[in-house]
Amino acid sequence: MVQFQPGREVVVAGVGLHPFGRFPESDLASLARDAVTEALVDGGIKWSDIPVAYFGHVYYQGMSIGETALSALGLTGIPIINVENACSSGSTAFWQAYWGVTTGMFDLALAFGAEKVPSGPVTVTASESPERYIGSDHMMAGYALRMRRYMEETGATDRSLAQVAVKARQNATLNPFAHRNEIYTVEEVLESRLIADPLTLFQCCPTSEGSAAAVLCAKESLKKYGIDEERSITISAAVLRSGNYNGRGSDHSAFSPYRTEPAAIEAYQSSNITPEEVDLVQVHDASTIGELQQLESLHLIGKGEAWKATESGRTALNGDIPTNTDGGLLAMGHPFGATGIRMIHETVTQLRQEAGDRQVNGRHGSPSSGPKIGLAQCSGAGDVTTVHILSK
Amino acid sequence: MVNNSTGMAQSVDPSRLELTDNTGIQGVLRGHRCKSCNVSVFGFATFCQSCTSNDLESIQLDKRGTLYSYTVVRVPPREWPGRVPYTLGEVELPEGPHVLAEVIECAYSDIKIGMQMDLAIELVSIPENNRVISVYKWKPSS
Repeated sequence: MVQFQPGREVVVAGVGLHPFGRFPESDLASLARDAVTEALVDGGIKWSDIPVAYFGHVYYQGMSIGETALSALGLTGIPIINVENACSSGSTAFWQAYWGVTTGMFDLALAFGAEKVPSGPVTVTASESPERYIGSDHMMAGYALRMRRYMEETGATDRSLAQVAVKARQNATLNPFAHRNEIYTVEEVLESRLIADPLTLFQCCPTSEGSAAAVLCAKESLKKYGIDEERSITISAAVLRSGNYNGRGSDHSAFSPYRTEPAAIEAYQSSNITPEEVDLVQVHDASTIGELQQLESLHLIGKGEAWKATESGRTALNGDIPTNTDGGLLAMGHPFGATGIRMIHETVTQLRQEAGDRQVNGRHGSPSSGPKIGLAQCSGAGDVTTVHILSK
Repeated sequence: MVNNSTGMAQSVDPSRLELTDNTGIQGVLRGHRCKSCNVSVFGFATFCQSCTSNDLESIQLDKRGTLYSYTVVRVPPREWPGRVPYTLGEVELPEGPHVLAEVIECAYSDIKIGMQMDLAIELVSIPENNRVISVYKWKPSS
């Protein structure tokens, strides 16, 4: 089902990224500003031309923090909207920017996200909610329940799951912006500290600080703002969905379709792009099992097959469906509000063939043409899923 | 447990766990069944989450279910008032809902997907606000 009909064509005109990691010297506003400035410079876009900004973030760092972050660029009086949608806050900001431009409300839009996530296990509910005392509010425990069930149903081995983390670190060694880029082996992943069986520490994404930004523009208006059309990347689909009921409530089944799958189907239908045409993908790998289940929910790999595809190298940089090419949440790190736009940044960078040593071609590209189509999927607790398809 | 002022036990969430006496360790799981589409949910509901109908009836859920998945949480979230590590089990009830709760009285070596689990209710002290509440848990069927 396609919920909304896009209007005019929208492109990503500029992207910016602040490294992910820990930056005790920088406050949230300054982190955010760095990525925004870079995105403006990247696209050759004047700040005074930006008519609207959407800011994704989760943890409280002061009220209307998006306004604070942008004020140093000049107080231009534009609407600045602060967006909280759990781990997909950034991709939600991007989705809003897209729909603002495609419908004709704005010619340009800024989407940016930043976060300083506290260390330690992530909880979703408010303090003193029943879940805290029942023990069920634990992000990685939820992934662990799914992982156990997935292994039971598909025969996936713990080694194949660990390989997802090894691949993430390998990709991150080629990415100077990554939070974690020490290489480790399958054995080291499996021997790292248990967080929630069978998930070990190295199979869980680090919580991070960082920021990312993207400037969107109506394709027909690129010339008006002096933006280079050659480097712009088309947004072919922008889908945001909340959960559908699956008849069971709490559900950590191996193939629960109620999160990503409906969003993916809508993205493919609205763009007339098939899963077979996708050259590279960024998915929400908050844990190793997350990557496998998202790849399957996106119909990029058959149900119950993603662990085998990982073992055989299909998801590696030189595979036919390179996945999380910048290291993903597992190695790039996970500053919640920035993550969804970081995925856009990486997709744009790859489609422009500007990814350097980690450049991929995908199944349809060649070293001269590069990849043609990239997909970015970002999940948030609650439930939220975004699927964006970018093409050149 | 027992609230000092009223002498009544207090459920962690009365819409999910209804206590049936004052000991705080006897009770049943509650839910709602949709009379339009027959989907049942655990706990509070005003509208059916599946078909959006408001033609719901309050039901008592089975005290026995099947273990669907489990994990042992080694690094607990802040505010967790219980043992560490603790086992978290997802149990599928005959009515359909899956209920997540701590698994007690089960050695790690004995736990298996597919085993039968029974409702167990324990009193839990919450140091931050000086309360004792009744929390639903799972234990292997005897």
